[in-house]
Amino acid sequence: MSAADTSPVNASPGPVLELVDVRKSFGPIEVLHGVDFALRPGEVHALIGENGAGKSTIMKILGGFLAPSSGEVRLDGRPAPYASGAQAEAAGVVVIHQEFNLAPDLTVTENVWLGRELGRVFLDHRAMREGTRKLLDELDSRIDPDARIRDLPVSDRQMVEIAKALSRNARVLIMDEPSAVLTHREVEVLFRQIDRLRAQGVALLYTSHRLEEVTRLADRVTVLRDGAVVRRAMRGELTEDGMATAMVGRDLEDIYPARRHEAGELALEVRSFSVPPLVHGVSFTLRRGEVLGISGLVGSGRTELAEGLVGLRAASGEIRRNGAPVRIASVREAAAQGMAYLTEDRKERGLLLDKNLRENLTLSTLPRFGSPFISAAREEAALTRAIGDFDIRAPRRDMAVGNLSGGNQQKLLLAKTLLSDPEIVIIDEPTRGIDVGTRSQIYAFIDRLAREGRSVIVISSDMPEILGLSDRVLVMRQGAIAGELAGERISETDVVRLVMGTSEERADV
Amino acid sequence: MSDTALSRPAGASRLPALSALGPLLALILLVILGAVLNDNFLSAGNITNVLARSAFIGMIAVGMTFVITSGGLDLSVGSMAAFIAGVMILAMNALLPSMGVGVPLILVGMAIALAVGLLAGLANGLLVTRAGIEPFIVTLGTMGIFRSLVTWLADGGTISLDFAVRQLYRPVYYSGLFGVAWPILVFAAVAVAGQVAMRHTRFGRYCEAIGSNDKVARYSAVGVEGVRLMTYVLLGLLVGLATIMYVPRLGSASGSTGMLWELEAIAAVIIGGTALKGGHGRVWGTVVGVLILSLIDNILNLADLVSPYLNGAIQGVIIVLAVVLQRGKSSSA
Amino acid sequence: MERRTFLVSTAAAVAAAGLATPAMAQDKKAVIGVSIPSATHGFMGGLNWHAQETIKRLKATYPNLDFVLATAGAVGKQVNDIEDMMATRNIDALVVLPFESEPLTSPVKAVKDAGKWVTVVDRGLAQAGIEDLYVAGDNTAFGRVAGEYFKANLKPGAKIVVLRGIPTTLDNERVDAFKAAVDGSGIEILDMQHGNWNRDKAFSVMQDYLSKHKQIDAVWAADDDMAIGVLEAIAQASRQKEMWVVGGAGMKEIVKRIMDKDPQLPVDVTYPPALISTALEITALRFVSNTPVYGRFIIGSTLITPDNAAQYYFPDSPF
Repeated sequence: MSAADTSPVNASPGPVLELVDVRKSFGPIEVLHGVDFALRPGEVHALIGENGAGKSTIMKILGGFLAPSSGEVRLDGRPAPYASGAQAEAAGVVVIHQEFNLAPDLTVTENVWLGRELGRVFLDHRAMREGTRKLLDELDSRIDPDARIRDLPVSDRQMVEIAKALSRNARVLIMDEPSAVLTHREVEVLFRQIDRLRAQGVALLYTSHRLEEVTRLADRVTVLRDGAVVRRAMRGELTEDGMATAMVGRDLEDIYPARRHEAGELALEVRSFSVPPLVHGVSFTLRRGEVLGISGLVGSGRTELAEGLVGLRAASGEIRRNGAPVRIASVREAAAQGMAYLTEDRKERGLLLDKNLRENLTLSTLPRFGSPFISAAREEAALTRAIGDFDIRAPRRDMAVGNLSGGNQQKLLLAKTLLSDPEIVIIDEPTRGIDVGTRSQIYAFIDRLAREGRSVIVISSDMPEILGLSDRVLVMRQGAIAGELAGERISETDVVRLVMGTSEERADV
Repeated sequence: MSDTALSRPAGASRLPALSALGPLLALILLVILGAVLNDNFLSAGNITNVLARSAFIGMIAVGMTFVITSGGLDLSVGSMAAFIAGVMILAMNALLPSMGVGVPLILVGMAIALAVGLLAGLANGLLVTRAGIEPFIVTLGTMGIFRSLVTWLADGGTISLDFAVRQLYRPVYYSGLFGVAWPILVFAAVAVAGQVAMRHTRFGRYCEAIGSNDKVARYSAVGVEGVRLMTYVLLGLLVGLATIMYVPRLGSASGSTGMLWELEAIAAVIIGGTALKGGHGRVWGTVVGVLILSLIDNILNLADLVSPYLNGAIQGVIIVLAVVLQRGKSSSA
Repeated sequence: MERRTFLVSTAAAVAAAGLATPAMAQDKKAVIGVSIPSATHGFMGGLNWHAQETIKRLKATYPNLDFVLATAGAVGKQVNDIEDMMATRNIDALVVLPFESEPLTSPVKAVKDAGKWVTVVDRGLAQAGIEDLYVAGDNTAFGRVAGEYFKANLKPGAKIVVLRGIPTTLDNERVDAFKAAVDGSGIEILDMQHGNWNRDKAFSVMQDYLSKHKQIDAVWAADDDMAIGVLEAIAQASRQKEMWVVGGAGMKEIVKRIMDKDPQLPVDVTYPPALISTALEITALRFVSNTPVYGRFIIGSTLITPDNAAQYYFPDSPF
């Protein structure tokens, strides 16, 4: 197999980085079945597929983090001269990881320059800070170069990760779902940077679960299913529906459930509710059988509001449940009031990644499983039920949940949250980083909750999700309610107008 | 990635992972080594000695397992034991004229030991949970405080229990039930209760959850601070219990009582497979760890293998090996 | 002044002390820095007690003397203490019981080079000639006196075990002298392990000795704290009748039992913690009188027997 045979001599530039008939096995299980894939200079190549289709494996092989079991990685037509991520980076192949590879206790600057610090004997702090400043300016980001990563919101961390990659002067840039945690505005900035890099001749690999982004960006699309390429297309050849169908391997009906019409009596009233320092004077109501969407920029106070309501943050104001005033100072008290919150940060706040499914499922409702001794049999029964009800797919029941795919983690977290049988469920970013198939399942679960007469609050940065799920939409801006939309008035333009405010300022930071 | 959802529970008969057996393997090797080196090693007398000696550190280490599992640490236990012993002896001596020599006096002494242990643990726990100070610093501080207090109480010397009281109290260490010494019985009871608490009660599960990720625990309606506080109180109580068994042995307490017990207890916990960063506790492993530490000492005394100057080195090597065995296996498993 | 009985070779100095009068021409207060290890075990506890008592008494007797006492739990701390005394307390003299010889040598030398008076207690410095005054117990005699007792009271072929202290030069000197003294007597030393001058450790070491050796005729515990642990272990094995124990230092509980003719504790060997008092008193003389007090004062180790035990018994001391 010589390189010359496969590189066509025509107008399209030859691939800079290429996989040729690559197979990859973990133990006895083959996860990639002979994949050919090429990245060309000045081109954005989108790689899409459901979670577990093999995208991550391909990216890891391209980035030097994994070696193929057979087949070849070629850089400039020759066997790739690298055997590790660091060597790949030195060769100009840079990966932006979905799992952030940032040291949480170092500053933004220190992270950007980690491993290639400027200065000879002593570090040149000034030059590094200036450099970081410039990179962040290019990204329209106002992140303080001296801020610690730990103190930054997830979206800012993603921006830092992108800045770090840009500073590498990459010839090939591999982006693993960079937009998953970004707001609309930030995504726009990211796209401008991608356009700029494309114009400079960088070869880009882009993955996302948001198919409209793929349509907007990609010059070339490769669809992956179960470790094999099922579809290749050039720009404009494939609609979003077509992509989804190719990914899932079957026709997807509308992923959003049909609207419900009957809303019940008042379940929750919130008046003049404040969560210092960000949220102030928020009032709203929630009915039984209703899905209330909360939209807004990251940092607009949506998550803080929710955490204040369930006693995770100190808050003031009035909460009425079924007409009676209640005080909620802890998650336990919230649970006693039939309220549950599903966090946006499932890896750091939702699940114990090194514990198994059973221990995670029952953690918040452990008193129901026996006292003083926990009944393992009852826990196992609950897990069996949860696996069935929520279609959780795990190779083994006793595996650590950190090894589950994101979608299955989210389904487990949903099962855990609903185990307490709450009447009010607040779900923060229900489908972040989750493939389209699982997403429609989660939407169905949310719909089922509402049909059972429960009240659901969905907090999301994903506009179609808010529009597709909500009976009513609250839009937050700078810690307050910017407006409320209901029924026919819920439209993308109206929501965006409220999210952004009249002036196109960024809400907070 | 495989898409098979297992619909049946994981087999209950699954053998523990090889890594879990590492410390046990080390223990068995030590026993074989001891038996080969000295005929008296497996004699009832020697086994009783080793087990009874392990009992103090053992009870403390069981408590320490919960503290470490929930992400904490307690360096003060050795000093705390000395302090409790000092207060207990002084109190018993002071009450002697009014109460006379008798079982009630001993029982009062025991109650005082448990009460002081509880208060000492509570102090550590409150400083960690309410004041939010790093456990390492809090207990480093209280370690010095308890140690100084006992030295001060003893006027730099030794606090000794009244001779007559001591004679009455002595059997608590030296005699037993069905030929098994009391300290061993109490240690066994503590170990079994600890194992059950860790595996089968909410308290144990919460300790693991908090040590694994305290934010997740908080978001899951776990009373994080309360559980943490409880681990320190429990440890304080167990130090009190250990002291109750310790005082009849020598009938005295001084500034050197319980020296370095904290390190032995922590070492035993880690050798036993509990993660120092928390999140995973193994009480029976801790018991094995304690036995390993005692056995090394015992074997070095029984066999003239090396210069006594090197005893510390041998201990160090075995401790590290026991942990390497465990980690090595776990990464390949 | 019962502790004067310990003085063997300082008779002249003591006599001089008797003559010295507190009436001094100088008005200026002399400051004496005292740096000793902290009370981590019985002997040091006694030494700390004696130091504090003596300072109290000397202050009352000589109003123009002031003392700065620092106790250290580790070598580094002791070095810091001495540096602090020089820098902030403006001491005129230093009385030091070095934690370890080598590390303390140069800090103490710095004090000497600054023109201060230096009294070294018990453990010598690594370099000769730094101190003005050296007051010490006699470790060689400590081991020898014990060894001689064993030689005189055991038949050839007798079997004994030894508990050593913390591995140090001091411990080596004692053990070497002990071995030299029993040499040629036909006494067999079965085992020598470290008990670290600690009761609990000595208890377990003795337990293991008892498991290991069928016949033990006597135990040199080399320290009274260790002797207590050893006696407990023997009692637990019910072998009290088989062997006797010799400790060391002169702890009041042990002396009491010798007075009461306990067959398990026939004798003890002195190594008096009160030697710090001697050092302080003699140093004080330097500032309150014109008595020449340079030199070396070695306080011998003697055998405490039931006959003379009463004079070594201080019920008030914590040790």
